[in-house]
Amino acid sequence: MKNYKLVTIFVNERPVTAPVEPHESLLDFLRHKAGAVEVKCGCNQGDCGTCTVLFKGKAVKSCLVLALQANEKDVRTIKGFTGDFLMEKLQESFVRNGAVQCGFCTPGMLISSYAFLQANPQPTREEIKTAISGNLCRCTGYKKIIDAVEEAAFGEASTKKATSSGSPEISEGQEEVKGTYLLLGGG
Amino acid sequence: MISCDYFKPSEVGEALKLVSQFKERALFAAGCTNILPDIHSGKQKDCVLIDISDLEELTGISKCGNSMRIGSSTTISELLDSSLIRDETPLLYEAALNFADPVVRNRATVGGNLAYASPAADMAVPLLALDSRVVVQSLDQGLREISLREFFVGPGKTVLSPSELILRVEFNLSQNFKVFYVKVGKRNAMAISLASLGLALKIDQTIKDARLALGALAPTPIRAWRTEDFLMGKFPEDKVMEEASEILLSEINPISDIRGSREYRVELTRSLFKRAFRAILSGERGLS
Repeated sequence: MKNYKLVTIFVNERPVTAPVEPHESLLDFLRHKAGAVEVKCGCNQGDCGTCTVLFKGKAVKSCLVLALQANEKDVRTIKGFTGDFLMEKLQESFVRNGAVQCGFCTPGMLISSYAFLQANPQPTREEIKTAISGNLCRCTGYKKIIDAVEEAAFGEASTKKATSSGSPEISEGQEEVKGTYLLLGGG
Repeated sequence: MISCDYFKPSEVGEALKLVSQFKERALFAAGCTNILPDIHSGKQKDCVLIDISDLEELTGISKCGNSMRIGSSTTISELLDSSLIRDETPLLYEAALNFADPVVRNRATVGGNLAYASPAADMAVPLLALDSRVVVQSLDQGLREISLREFFVGPGKTVLSPSELILRVEFNLSQNFKVFYVKVGKRNAMAISLASLGLALKIDQTIKDARLALGALAPTPIRAWRTEDFLMGKFPEDKVMEEASEILLSEINPISDIRGSREYRVELTRSLFKRAFRAILSGERGLS
């Protein structure tokens, strides 16, 4: 017999009410009950970080939170940052630096980076590496991701030297559109 | 099929009533960094989840005289954010820095790490070296204090009765120790320890006090008592270090698993101990 309980979770400020099983994860709730498929399910056991969201102001892996533990609480997915200065700066920097390859890790990478830069706006490269160490990128694009976070923190000029010929030149208008689509995630 | 139930008590007393009602089926849920993977893998199928994650009584890091208190639902990130921990207990701080990854550290708790009782529990090594006491409570046994050295009895097993809840961990601050912590895993982040070691030495010409704790090298996290005894009163020199490392190897009992062989872990232990000993003597990372 299934033992459902009703929860209301504020997903990007929108209240979503649905029945959940006691052991259901916040990740399952977000994807299957709230339609927030921008939150990706990778390993489902806390290793890969693709399901990272902002919960109680901290970056957490939503597969490691019970949906019931988020009852009456705020959760922010990558779609909940419209107009947020820091997140937009990060997203633009990811696009500019070619830090998105297949895009699967990107929502989690962005949220981990966002929470990190909020607490530590002027990080060293080593600190950036540690900050995203809970998020796996299997396209092996770590260098460009680190470049992107560094550039978001210090501005474009700071990484020009470090990346040199690393990032491809693409006309800016075109890239914006493609980038925004990728970063928001489709399915 | 998974059949779980869920309760969210609003205070510790209510949590204790619930756990005494459901006994073995009851599981305290805080960070859930072990519970949810265990449910997903089928290891945990039938349980009553008692959500203690918002119980204020279990939070907080405080210093009371010479004694440090850490609430059981303190997250590893909260340890790292605490200037008390950073300044006064560098061994614990170092272990927290090497715990899982920054995102998991936002959820994983000190109490949960101890209660799960993995032989590789990363909080156990520094807390063992700090001679910690675990303060627990239940309806039938009331409040009791358990020395951490008697807490673990096997992989995943502790002396806790099914109805006991860990309230906090306490230890006395000791001055003038120089400490060194090292953890070896397959990678830097999200690694389960292949071996971890925490060494604390108080040296005034000779070794006045020695504490050595080890993780992932025996069925539980352990203190190397005989090695410690041997070190007491000795001059901190190479010959003593070599002899101590031989004694140390007779105290561990590592297994071969997916992360490394028994033979490798034995050699690793020898080398980690020497690294720690030399680092303390040379003052490199000489955290007191």
